[in-house]
Amino acid sequence: MSDLVLENIGKTYANGYHAIPSIDLNIEQGEFIVLVGPSGCGKSTLLRMVAGLETITQGDLLIKGERVNDKEPAARDIAMVFQNYALYPHMSVYDNMAYGLKNRGVNKDEIDTKVNAVAVMLGLEELLSRKPKQLSGGQRQRVAMGRAMVRDPKVFLFDEPLSNLDAKLRVQMRVEIRELQRKLGTTTLYVTHDQVEAMTLADRLVVLNKGHAEQIGTPMELYDRPASTFVAQFIGSPSMNLIPTSVKSEYLQLSVDIRLPCPQLADQKLIWGIRPEHVEICAAEEADVMLNVKAVEALGAETLVHGSLQLGDGNTPNFVVRLAGHHTPKLGERLPLRVPRSAWHLFDAETQQRVEKSCN
Amino acid sequence: MSVHFPQKKLPYLLLLPQLVITFIFFLWPAEQAIEQAFYQEDAFGLSREFVGLDNFIDIFQDPQYYTSIGVTLIFSFSVAFLGMALALWLAVMADRVIRGKLAYQTLLIWPYAVAPALAGVLWWILFDPSMGPVALWLETVGVEWNHFLNGDQAMILVVISATWKQISYNFLFFLAGLQAVPRSLIEAAAIDGASPAKRFWDIVFPLLSPTTFFLLVVNLVYAFFDTFGVIDATTQGGPGVSTATMVYKVFNDGFIGLDLGSSAAQSVVLMGLVGIMTVVQFRYIERKVEY
Amino acid sequence: MIENRPWLTAISHLSLLLGIAMVALPVWVALVASTHPTEAFGSGEIPLWFGDQAIQNWGAVLFAKAGNGIDVPVWSMMLNSLVMALGITIGKIAISILSAYAIVFFRFPFRGTAFWVIFITLMLPVEVRIVPTYEVVANLDMLNSYSGLVLPLIASATATFLFRQCFMTVPGELVEAARIDGAGPIRFFFDILMPLSRTNIAALFVIMFIYGWNQYLWPLIVTTDDAYYTLVMSIKRMLSVEQGDVEWNQVMVTTLLAMLPPVLVVVGMQKLFVKGLVDAEK
Repeated sequence: MSDLVLENIGKTYANGYHAIPSIDLNIEQGEFIVLVGPSGCGKSTLLRMVAGLETITQGDLLIKGERVNDKEPAARDIAMVFQNYALYPHMSVYDNMAYGLKNRGVNKDEIDTKVNAVAVMLGLEELLSRKPKQLSGGQRQRVAMGRAMVRDPKVFLFDEPLSNLDAKLRVQMRVEIRELQRKLGTTTLYVTHDQVEAMTLADRLVVLNKGHAEQIGTPMELYDRPASTFVAQFIGSPSMNLIPTSVKSEYLQLSVDIRLPCPQLADQKLIWGIRPEHVEICAAEEADVMLNVKAVEALGAETLVHGSLQLGDGNTPNFVVRLAGHHTPKLGERLPLRVPRSAWHLFDAETQQRVEKSCN
Repeated sequence: MSVHFPQKKLPYLLLLPQLVITFIFFLWPAEQAIEQAFYQEDAFGLSREFVGLDNFIDIFQDPQYYTSIGVTLIFSFSVAFLGMALALWLAVMADRVIRGKLAYQTLLIWPYAVAPALAGVLWWILFDPSMGPVALWLETVGVEWNHFLNGDQAMILVVISATWKQISYNFLFFLAGLQAVPRSLIEAAAIDGASPAKRFWDIVFPLLSPTTFFLLVVNLVYAFFDTFGVIDATTQGGPGVSTATMVYKVFNDGFIGLDLGSSAAQSVVLMGLVGIMTVVQFRYIERKVEY
Repeated sequence: MIENRPWLTAISHLSLLLGIAMVALPVWVALVASTHPTEAFGSGEIPLWFGDQAIQNWGAVLFAKAGNGIDVPVWSMMLNSLVMALGITIGKIAISILSAYAIVFFRFPFRGTAFWVIFITLMLPVEVRIVPTYEVVANLDMLNSYSGLVLPLIASATATFLFRQCFMTVPGELVEAARIDGAGPIRFFFDILMPLSRTNIAALFVIMFIYGWNQYLWPLIVTTDDAYYTLVMSIKRMLSVEQGDVEWNQVMVTTLLAMLPPVLVVVGMQKLFVKGLVDAEK
């Protein structure tokens, strides 16, 4: 039986605005699910509906098989870590973690045992008597997690918990969260807008766009076979190069004079895509396309070359190439590139959905 | 705040005490005052008669009412001006000094805690014509002081008493305002060659204008309503009606003169006035504070 | 200070000292006057230095009777003042905090109406509606009682606005965290909101205590029984005796005692007082 089930879940606000039309999701016991999408896509709303902080206006929410739509947040047996941590400023670290247990009438000794155990796990033993104000950002983050863990809930909910930390700490906490979740085996729903965070943490990702799930799958499924141009652009950095084009008489028409053989597809309008890291430099005579170099970003381990493609009809779409190691193309230089057929992604120009038939 | 508790009945319960008090002691009396303003009651309260707008017409035809308006205006603006000017001077001085700032502040703000009536009594004894040290000193320099007989002197006495108490309040707000003026602006003006006095009038005073305007409103409201004690304890509106402000007249006509209709009509006029002042004040505040 | 001009600094200090002297002058004279026998005032001028009757005067007024037609001692009126001041302060804070809580943390029909009804109390100072309010209190049979002294003065728009302002700065996540932790509105109020508003409550307490203690007109008209006289209004009664018969030394002792508690509060809790004053005016 799935641990957490969203069946046709939807949200319509009192003013008639459809924040979320309908979402279905089955989450298995112990799974780490990340909801990712740009701001305003409805990911936080969805999380808060699971938490019980927003009413569900349509569908069923099941936790361990029980319908909890109308239950108070406290009765759903969930725990949540907030973006700004929401620690009670006047309570010590210990009291912050103990508050939820106290309200549930857990006896003092048991609270003490639980809080101390979690404090040890998170390295907070020394800080238990401090107030949130006296803690660093990373420590507050840990206390917020401790407060969630101490209750041993059925589901963890995280609402962009790392966005208030600096870059270095974020990476460190990311690893810690993943480790802890594995150790505890608690089903987790995690909201973020950061695709790196999403890719590294998730067992499965849900990419949300304007309130509906564009794609649900493992990070690699999403990377290898994005279901739409939206997912293609959202997953991977720098994002996928996408160029509108069409198929005519078994050729992909990049332009009047650049035609790539594509025998399996009927004539249709398409969007052709390739990830920057899949493009290769080659000798001029083997080139599929030429790149007009406009900017070079050398990052040491890799080099990003920004430019525009020279398409014969005067069309010059922007194009990014990601090369391993050092490269020093000059600005204004014409760089010959090969675009391996195996790395192509094709999307329907109308629906923006993936076209599955490959060209080779 | 965008987050709310879902309970529907609890908020009414929470509001109940405040609303009950407001209804019994604010709205009911206000309604009675308005009703009363349209009736003429005999002095013993035995019978009353509907007289329409007569009470209002009467007060606006009564020269004494205009006198009380004049007294109120002179009194209020004198208190506001004097209190603010002195407080500003002291605040500027306190802002300049480095040593002893807090001690000065402490020694200047305590009169805020003194009840207006007591302030009146304290100054009365200083100016008492037969034994007050200030009155006797004035006599030696040729001023015949007797605020029991001389209306102008009575006015001066109540203005001094009311101002004395209010200086501390104005001082605190001016000092806070001065401390909020960015140091760099003053330094820039100094480098531009402005003298300390010029810096004050060209830079600091204009930047203080929100504080000044706010204090003006507060001081006027204070002089209108909170100074009843000063007047009642020292001059009781006298001699004659030379220190009877509008608020004092409402009390005097109602409780002493037992002309309830007229007193109520005056109450209604005052309520309107306070309403306007409150809205002005609220509008001003609302612009600063986001709701 | 930008330039170092010693004479300007000297003027500053001089002005401040002069200001302090002016402010303190009447209290000094009152203090001196309170140490002389009654006869000293008949002779035409208040003595300018302390007399030898301090202990007798202060003792008599505090513990025997205030004099000038008031037969109860000052300490009993002080008690009345304290009851009234604390009643007004605690009452105001309690009902304001509850209504602000309702207005900020709940959504319900007539929320706006309730807000405006409270706002109206701002427009109606007791001095303006004095006659009808007196009648209402008389009808309710509350003359010469503590409830009559306190209740009509405890509705406060200012305090409600202040708490509203303060509550609106509480992050919404804190409410949500509390809900997930199993705290309902009542528990949230006592466990989270009250501790967070401690300083605001304390600051308002200082301001409201002074306001309550200094009430003059209202106690003057609702009390006719000296058992309920408050200290501030008793001055008026003491001055109402035949001119010339006023025992000024006793009046001065009473005046000084009447102003002492609120002045001590202001000086002793200066920080809270300043905060309260600034907050109360937004």
